[in-house]
Amino acid sequence: MLNMMRITLKGVFRDRVFQGIMALAVLFLFIPSAASLSMRQVTELSVTLSLSLISFILLLLSVFLGGTSLWRDIERRYTFGVLSLPLSRSSYILGRFLGLALFLVLVSVVLGVAACVAVNVASSLYPADRPVVWSFVALALVYATLKYILLVAVALLLSTVSTSFFLPVFGTICTFLASGISQQVYEYVHSAAAVQTVSPLFRQVVTAVYYLIPNLAGFDLKINAIYSVAPNPRGLALTACYFLAYTAILLAGSIFLFNRREMK
Amino acid sequence: MALLVAGLLAYAAVIGPFTAYMRDKPMEEKLGYVPSVKVMKSVSVDQKELAGASLVFKVLMYYGTLMGQAPKGTILKDPGDLQGMSRLLHGAVQLDPYNMDAYYFAQGILTWDAHQYQVANALLDYGMKYRNWDWFLPFFAGFNNAYFLKDYKKAAHYYDLAGDLSGEPLYKSLASRYMQESGQTDLAIAYLSGMVKTAKNDAVRKSYQLRLQAFLEVSRIEKARDRFARERGGMPASLEDLVRSGYLKPAPVDPYGGTFYLEPDGKVATTSKFAFGAKKK
Repeated sequence: MLNMMRITLKGVFRDRVFQGIMALAVLFLFIPSAASLSMRQVTELSVTLSLSLISFILLLLSVFLGGTSLWRDIERRYTFGVLSLPLSRSSYILGRFLGLALFLVLVSVVLGVAACVAVNVASSLYPADRPVVWSFVALALVYATLKYILLVAVALLLSTVSTSFFLPVFGTICTFLASGISQQVYEYVHSAAAVQTVSPLFRQVVTAVYYLIPNLAGFDLKINAIYSVAPNPRGLALTACYFLAYTAILLAGSIFLFNRREMK
Repeated sequence: MALLVAGLLAYAAVIGPFTAYMRDKPMEEKLGYVPSVKVMKSVSVDQKELAGASLVFKVLMYYGTLMGQAPKGTILKDPGDLQGMSRLLHGAVQLDPYNMDAYYFAQGILTWDAHQYQVANALLDYGMKYRNWDWFLPFFAGFNNAYFLKDYKKAAHYYDLAGDLSGEPLYKSLASRYMQESGQTDLAIAYLSGMVKTAKNDAVRKSYQLRLQAFLEVSRIEKARDRFARERGGMPASLEDLVRSGYLKPAPVDPYGGTFYLEPDGKVATTSKFAFGAKKK
């Protein structure tokens, strides 16, 4: 499994994905000047832009790496070779997942350092009324990384049942979009305002879907990092547990489906 | 190769007119249509703060263009699409209720330009629920209540809050001053001077500077009027009286392009109502 993880990581580097990200990271150089356009919150805007950029890059990585990794292996008939070795299918899937997760962690660390430099420059030019709490910024980065690692697990699950990359890529994008509004929809159908307009059956369907798709809103700690608002420790612990449980289910599902998949 | 050359030639031919077309688009079109906040909230997923900031920038760019259109010394005819700006700023704080730029800018346009004092205060109250450390919001609300709404009790409450949050004794003293309706012009001058000093954005500073200039003129007229009344034992019949009798030199100039006049009770007013594009008397 560890070998598979190493191979995955090597493969990502060989495909020059990291260099591509570094090219995108050039945008961090422009963050201090872009943030200086703000009227009253230059530092806050620099944190917003930095975290948004990191979030966007991680999203692209999780969707495209997670969604195409298995498909490419099968397409290149690489899987057949690997699985003829003394390596179980579950180790193969877990190795792929851990390799991609490790790559996301690595990218987060590198981009996180770049973000800290950009925010530091912006805040030295226009000191904030409320100083940046770096631990909150770090927490926001950690939870953003966890969120996209979970999304990689979604992409892998979809890859195990798909014969092309369309389902994993677009399915992951749809899951991501749905995860952003599931909380809103759930709260609406259970609100007093919806009692008259929403049928009980629809409410039950929405509730079922709410529990089925990942709820990624809890991983978003941007507000806490941007405005130095202390996050709720219980919420953080619950979100971390949610991540572990949900990812475990996704991986177990992926392994189950991949074990049953016929390789021709 | 031929295709590339043809493409480059076509691009060179079209890019000039295309840029000019985009630049000359009506400003209202540039402010544009923004989908409902509910839709934006859903679509922006985990980028709500960025979406909120982008709405504020849209307004700021529009406002900057508007202010930049008036060459120095000339009068701007149009206060701009105030409703559109207000809509975007309200959208911005629903996406990111902590966005200070939105509250700061809304305070400027909703009060002085749009005269929507209750709307401005409701927005500030909304912001205070989130930015509970920020003294600026109660400071704005205090000013709006005292100066525009003449609700001195509420003004004192907000100034008290601003004093507590900032630790500045000045706001505490303002709280007591706002308990009575006196020295309104001086208080507006104090407020506007502070806003000019803290404004970072050129268009915003220019707008506050202009208003400050107008209030400095009002203050000059009030002082001349009071001296006239003291020395001559009665109010001047008109502003021209003050100028003619030498109490007011040079004659006051309204930077908004209006004409100052004295109301029957002696209060100083202007035909511009301290706003661009107001109907002339």
